[in-house]
Amino acid sequence: MKDIAEQEVIDIGDLDIDGFNAFALEQGWSDGMPLYPPTEAKVAQFVDTVRGDNRPFAPVPPRQVVPTLQALAANAVMAGCKPEYFPVVTAALRGLLDPDYNLHGTLATTHSCAPMVMVSGPARKELAINCGSNCFGQGWQANATIGRAVGLILLNVAGAKPGEMDRSTQGNPAKYTFCFGENEEENPWTPYHVRRGFAPTDSVVTVMSGEGPHNLNDHGSTTGDGLLTTFAGSMATPGANTIYGKGPCVVIIGPEHAATLARDGYTIESIQEELFKRSRVHASRISKENQETYVSTGHMPDGDWFAIARSPQDIHITVAGGPGKHSAFIPSFGGTTVASVRIAR
Amino acid sequence: MIATETFRPLVLAQAKARKVEPRLIVVKHPIGGLNAQELAERIETATKGLTEATGT
Amino acid sequence: MRIYNPTFGLAAAGGESMALKPVNWKSDAIALFSNSKPNARELLDGIRSKLGAFRPTENINFVAKNSASQPAPKDLIEEVAAKYRGALLAIAD
Repeated sequence: MKDIAEQEVIDIGDLDIDGFNAFALEQGWSDGMPLYPPTEAKVAQFVDTVRGDNRPFAPVPPRQVVPTLQALAANAVMAGCKPEYFPVVTAALRGLLDPDYNLHGTLATTHSCAPMVMVSGPARKELAINCGSNCFGQGWQANATIGRAVGLILLNVAGAKPGEMDRSTQGNPAKYTFCFGENEEENPWTPYHVRRGFAPTDSVVTVMSGEGPHNLNDHGSTTGDGLLTTFAGSMATPGANTIYGKGPCVVIIGPEHAATLARDGYTIESIQEELFKRSRVHASRISKENQETYVSTGHMPDGDWFAIARSPQDIHITVAGGPGKHSAFIPSFGGTTVASVRIAR
Repeated sequence: MIATETFRPLVLAQAKARKVEPRLIVVKHPIGGLNAQELAERIETATKGLTEATGT
Repeated sequence: MRIYNPTFGLAAAGGESMALKPVNWKSDAIALFSNSKPNARELLDGIRSKLGAFRPTENINFVAKNSASQPAPKDLIEEVAAKYRGALLAIAD
């Protein structure tokens, strides 16, 4: 008889939901929370939703297997997705498989990174993806389960088993789920996916291997300049991977902060320029040993300053969230990219 | 390959995915953050492992 | 109940087993390949010094990835394969 790992379809007899979950835990399929059984009928329903994209997937590192749509759907079913969420999950996986995303590195690293999944375009409303208050938090099925499905695919298909292939020192709650929508309705600038060359009517998923959101609290500033001082000061962190493993980061501006910045004439480009300039870290805040390591690996300072990105364009900016004077900074793994993929529906 | 004992399972899992059998020299974890005196023990162990594995 | 296996995948093409070439560690050219993490180079440097007790070290050279977080570029791996008979990788910390 074939090993269970080699069987595409497994007969688990008459196990009830508790029995299935015990079985799944034993197989190492679970993130620790209860799962739905990926029955043949349920998986078929999910596979039916991605008829607009039948391109084969590249091998998924580190495990290097080519996933079937059924295996991917099984993870989305287990995560609690609705069938109509599945094209977002498969588009997210295509983003993760962008060679510049460096999926292998982002999974095997000791860093805490997890895939940030951001949805832009009409799918946000059609799938009820939260883009407003508490958009990084709990309470929305689409946000919770799309991010969770991506995490389960990384565990089960990519093989990122914690403590084995996933070597994160401390991990990160975003490894359970980290999915939100762009708040295009309160974005005073062009939506993120349109700036990246997609049509406004396209639905797009954007992924980056990042830490969880770092809060940028500024209730006091009344000008865009004041807000950028707070944002940049909070982004200038000597402990960020990007201080030496230069790479992208994401700044999610809350709608009220965005309105102030737009009122004062800031564009996305001018915000990127200002944040890049002001978020550099002074050498006095970096240990001598680290400075030597950075320099020896080619990460040269500009005078006495170490930049947290390669260029202003590495700072990806959009708007999400609800009322309140908060924004968020999401540093990346470093050696990765921000990949955007159109959702085929 | 030199790996620390903590990262041995990662190396073996990745090697299995690539269908290679690594010749592995395992030293104590960690390497990073050690001073020269502490690192000397790792160098000693790794060199011994290399000479044994290669018959030099 | 029949369920789909969430781990199922097809083997990637080109994943056939590879045999290692024989290396004479007493004389062949060797690359000491650092993963660019702190102390990797120092570890390899220490090993190189100790190897000097029983073999020439002029043909033992250091190689490093550009970044600890990114894979070694293919051309660097090919260069190492072409120039050296063996490689010692400080790879996992």
